[in-house]
Amino acid sequence: MPQVMIELANVTKIYGQGEKRVVALDNVSLQINKGEIFGIIGLSGAGKSTLIRCINKLEVPQSGTITIAGQEITKLKGKELRKTRRKIGMIFQHFNLLSSRTVYGNIAFPLEIAGVKRSEIKERVLSLIDLVGLSDKISAYPAELSGGQKQRVGIARALANNPEVLLCDEATSALDPETTKSILGLLQDVNQRFNLTIVLITHQMNVIKDICDTVAVIEDGRIVEQGPVVDLFARPRTPTARRFMKSVLPTEIPAEIKERALIMDDQNCAGKTVRISFIGDVAGEPVISSLIRKFQVDVNIIYANLDYIKNTPFGSLIIDLMGESQKIEAAMEFLEDQGLKLEVLNSVEPTA
Amino acid sequence: MWNLLLKALGETLYMVGASLVLSALFGIPLGLVLVITEPRHIKPAPVIHKILSTIINIGRSLPFIILLVAIIPFTRLVVGTSIGTAGAIVPLTVSAITFVARVVESALLEIDRGVIEAAQAIGATTGQIITKVLIPEAVPGLILGLTMVAVNLIGYSAMAGAVGGGGLGDLSIRYGYQRFRGDVMLLTVVVLVAIVQGLQSFGSWLAARLNRR
Repeated sequence: MPQVMIELANVTKIYGQGEKRVVALDNVSLQINKGEIFGIIGLSGAGKSTLIRCINKLEVPQSGTITIAGQEITKLKGKELRKTRRKIGMIFQHFNLLSSRTVYGNIAFPLEIAGVKRSEIKERVLSLIDLVGLSDKISAYPAELSGGQKQRVGIARALANNPEVLLCDEATSALDPETTKSILGLLQDVNQRFNLTIVLITHQMNVIKDICDTVAVIEDGRIVEQGPVVDLFARPRTPTARRFMKSVLPTEIPAEIKERALIMDDQNCAGKTVRISFIGDVAGEPVISSLIRKFQVDVNIIYANLDYIKNTPFGSLIIDLMGESQKIEAAMEFLEDQGLKLEVLNSVEPTA
Repeated sequence: MWNLLLKALGETLYMVGASLVLSALFGIPLGLVLVITEPRHIKPAPVIHKILSTIINIGRSLPFIILLVAIIPFTRLVVGTSIGTAGAIVPLTVSAITFVARVVESALLEIDRGVIEAAQAIGATTGQIITKVLIPEAVPGLILGLTMVAVNLIGYSAMAGAVGGGGLGDLSIRYGYQRFRGDVMLLTVVVLVAIVQGLQSFGSWLAARLNRR
């Protein structure tokens, strides 16, 4: 059984009163396991930012409890709260570095706050700068760094006190795609290296797809869907989840393919346009060639796509199957037996 | 004439210097408390905030010459006299404290809320946020603001002649104006302009040098 690191139980957060009353979080419950990368995705205003701020009590919920490593943070105050916060690193969309301090000074900051000895600070900061790959920028001020470099400083600062949890508040939303990729790579690296639990909020589905193990979809302050990322991609249950999926996977079938007439030479032949989708190991097997050999059908590949959800291959293939009706039926049965998901997009029945 | 000018210059610098240091000493903490007690800041305290803000506004709304005479009893209590250079420093300081408080407020409100939030997330105490985040981040703004206060104090110190405080303003009124000494008038104006120019240039240069944003 995986160990639960963070548990939210019936968390409700309301802003304002009367007509201005906004329910930012509506009875949210979540369990986040130790060592996993947990993504929370939602549109702006869905409540994801409030949710992540409640985890380190930057926002205080009206009701519900939040427990981190067995400690109920919603009950903590003053000194106890500050001590617990040191074990929860946080990085931000706009980095939030101290502009008056160099890279070194920014990373040393949380260590000074925690009262670490000067000699130890130096050793720790140098190893962190090395970890995030900024050894040549040690004396640079934030204004002299690129967005990606600033976020690397942010990550080093967040890791300074050896936290057990890292909270990422839209950490890549202000970065270009290339830099996003390198920052996500770094997050995945620290997750594995330190068995660090990472909670991230984002509106970018590719962030979820690339590094998350588990995902929760938040909408209007409620968690509408949650589970392993692979499951979400295989079987999205809510319209919101489907909308997010579409942004990274082309699931729409071009109208041309749906409507075009299949050309049949023989009147006894049928034709079908079929979409085959697969997740996981099946991607490695020579299904198509077996199909042609075993069933004597003609196969025409219209579209193919292979992608990865974290480390799991995920793909779809659109093919035309042409041949005698029975053989086509048998071929499709064979494909389904291989664990593939089939969807008939278009079909021409035999005219005879 | 040169002796008079040197003496007056010394008095002006003394009055402005002393009241600048004293007003910064009281005004900076006042401004800090004003900011951190704001509704969404690190130590929200609406009542304290409102009281301080009101006091500061009252102080800021009094013309200096009125304040100067209005607080004579207080001045006497503090320095034992209400006249002379020492008697002028007290009202100058009192008037500048509220100005400094507003200057500090605007410099501190320039700091991105996110940076303060990051310090809170790290587990910093209120004291640590003040000394390690708010003040260092606001240094360029504070320097520019204090330069503005100093320039203002030079202007106000011209009125110190009314209580026998001396200084360049007093010299130009008594000799330049009342005794029709055009040369004294011109000279004091030139010196005042030079001081203000020099002060402002220095303040701007220092602020720019320390600004890492």
